[in-house]
Amino acid sequence: MQSMRCFALLLALPVLLAGARTHESNPMNSAEDFQEGKRLYRIHCGNCHGMQGDTGRGARLARKSYVHGNTDAELFDIVEGGIPGTDMPGLWLEEDDVWRILLFVRTFAETASKGCDPGNGEAAAGKQIFDTKGSCLACHTVGNTGGRLGPDMSFAGELYTNDQLRRALLEPARDVANRYRTVRVVTADGERVDGAWMNENSYRIYLMDRSENIRSFRKADLVSFEMPSESLMPAYKGLLSAGELEDLLAYLCTLRSPAKEAAQ
Amino acid sequence: MRITAPQWTLPAAMLCAAASGLPEVTNSDLLNDEVIASDWLNYHGGYSGQRHSLLDQIDRGNASSMRLEWVFQEKISEKFETTPLVHDGVMYITVPPGDVYALDAATGARLWRYSRRLPPKLIACCGLVNRGLAIAGDRLFMATLDAYTIALDRKTGRLLWETELIDYSLGYSGTHAPLVVKDMVMVGTAGGEYGIRGFIDAFDIETGERRWRFYTVPGPGEFGHDTWAGDSWKTGGASVWITPSYDPKLDMVYWGIGNPGPDWNGDVRLGDNLYSDSVVALEADTGKRKWHFQFTPHDVHDWDATQVMVLLDSEYRGEVRRLLVTANRNGFLYLLDRATGEFLKATQFVKQTWAVGISEEGRPIRRPGMEPSAEGVEVFPAVAGGTNWMSPAYNPDTGLLYVSCREGSAMYYKGETEYRPGTRYWGSMFINEPTMHNWFGAVRAFDPVSGERIWEHRLFQPAWAGLLSTAGKLVFAGTSDGFFKALDAESGNELWRINLGARVQASPMTYLGGGRQMVAVASGGALFVFGLPQGRAN
Repeated sequence: MQSMRCFALLLALPVLLAGARTHESNPMNSAEDFQEGKRLYRIHCGNCHGMQGDTGRGARLARKSYVHGNTDAELFDIVEGGIPGTDMPGLWLEEDDVWRILLFVRTFAETASKGCDPGNGEAAAGKQIFDTKGSCLACHTVGNTGGRLGPDMSFAGELYTNDQLRRALLEPARDVANRYRTVRVVTADGERVDGAWMNENSYRIYLMDRSENIRSFRKADLVSFEMPSESLMPAYKGLLSAGELEDLLAYLCTLRSPAKEAAQ
Repeated sequence: MRITAPQWTLPAAMLCAAASGLPEVTNSDLLNDEVIASDWLNYHGGYSGQRHSLLDQIDRGNASSMRLEWVFQEKISEKFETTPLVHDGVMYITVPPGDVYALDAATGARLWRYSRRLPPKLIACCGLVNRGLAIAGDRLFMATLDAYTIALDRKTGRLLWETELIDYSLGYSGTHAPLVVKDMVMVGTAGGEYGIRGFIDAFDIETGERRWRFYTVPGPGEFGHDTWAGDSWKTGGASVWITPSYDPKLDMVYWGIGNPGPDWNGDVRLGDNLYSDSVVALEADTGKRKWHFQFTPHDVHDWDATQVMVLLDSEYRGEVRRLLVTANRNGFLYLLDRATGEFLKATQFVKQTWAVGISEEGRPIRRPGMEPSAEGVEVFPAVAGGTNWMSPAYNPDTGLLYVSCREGSAMYYKGETEYRPGTRYWGSMFINEPTMHNWFGAVRAFDPVSGERIWEHRLFQPAWAGLLSTAGKLVFAGTSDGFFKALDAESGNELWRINLGARVQASPMTYLGGGRQMVAVASGGALFVFGLPQGRAN
């Protein structure tokens, strides 16, 4: 086999027209196709998206609509080619197998709840916690407000399930997307800097420090350079009461795009 | 001990003089490509596969002042893996998926373009790539993704002939730069992931008529057929996708052969599976096998013998031998006698966990439990191997072989598979992600005879770029994080680098453009050409 590289979550080759699409809509529809699609999904997709499309560090698939495309053709192209600038790789599969995976993925929407369930918490109280006690805005953006060290929470209610949000609050280091990995450096003059990973090559490391400054360091000049498995985000277990946690979750669940709210 | 280039070349000075302005590429030119330093007439820069140039205008003292001379850009979404050819002041490159350009070698100005009309659904496992051309007379030759060999007029780009290798829809394709030997052009077929039966064809360069065919999977009655269980030989793979080396004195062409199919499940193809993962020495005139050596019998890790076969003459145990050295994807650096195929030595050159060692006969002694399984097994090296198709380089002056090495492991899985014509025939898969934290790359210099590592230049990631050696005591290398750099051939120290903005996935070459040494390498969707500032050349 020829040039194989970075199967970033499974089979990720950079550009492959070999499996290019010849249909606009999914031609697969048999029970055998579905079973095969389910099998392939579990091999190729489940690690990031969860076996039911609702967990893991990948986008939540158990939902009614998607950010990057919704038609069969659009979804095919995403599975085939990946999403540039994200951790979503393209899959090196035959056209029929991509369609089979999509046949299975489409069933997630039917079984999905409308997204995050606000539960018994009070969203208004949760917003207060998000904005003040929790200091969440220091690192997360909602709308045009907030920080940029962590993921944008503007549409958190669409993108994440309760389980994902709860886990992120209690165990933030468990699933950290590459873009938000923690970097810690110590410079020759003793400066200690930690921040979110932005890029890296043979010679330099680029990060966003806690003040959102984009910093560049020559690796050769550093006394130490590590990427600890911890997250920049604090674990809120113990910092928030159980009730506050429910309130915060309720607030996050309300964060949706107006169009999507109307659609639902 | 001095190691030299194989002795079939004419005196350099004579040829440098004779080469200037030659309108046609003669057989003599091809035989002496290594000493016609102004030009680059073969994918490897010469039949020996050494990718070493006698040009020394750029050297260790001035390499740091190299600058960009010109850039060729096209709308290229595929991996750009071409090695340019240069003759008579004109550069010829392939541009994926099926184009050929002629450029002014000194300025990059476009002279003509040939664009092949390709079928809409091509079948290629790893990108719609092409690695380059062959040249002879006034003709250029290309292997195409729709499994043809074609000849173009090098002055105009006009198609002169095209000969179908086989029906591409069965999974066959052509990706490597052909090899011209005498009046023949030779091409092997890619497609080892599609249950093909690999072969090598030789065509008359004038007419395109086929002279001979060698099947890389022996048929009934042929030697090696019994190394395939049942009918597995019919779908055995053993593709060819890298340009061979050639020894004119022995008249042998040395082909590296690809993996057996299905890749990760060997149960349906019990046996050694000749000539997969082998080097096969073919008599140029007839295509008859003179000898073969299999690096990985019954491979289940997809470790094609796709590294370049480097030919050099050196003393081995008190006797000057005609040697073949190659770093194999399976993690071992092999030394063979290229006249006889005798196995001389194997040395581990990257971390590997699948073999305890190599026997005196050259067969791997396998470590149990390293075969792919349904649950997955971690094995070093990863599927891409300890190195891959990207060219090594050999400098006769330093006596060192330079190899772009890939360190790291992968998870290998085994599964069921069924052959369907023109579709992937794998027998499961591999996953890199859980193990990629331990990946890195390195340019390493080896004593090719002892296998001893002399130096290492560490890379951030495993590279897909080949190496170029020059008489200026430089090694040029590209990286996966987008750098192109010049290293000191004796120490590996970095002397110069530039960020090209995209992964380098090609092997560099060098030539004289307007009398000045230039170094060319493809990266991203562009070909970059570097030289010294005007007036700095000697």
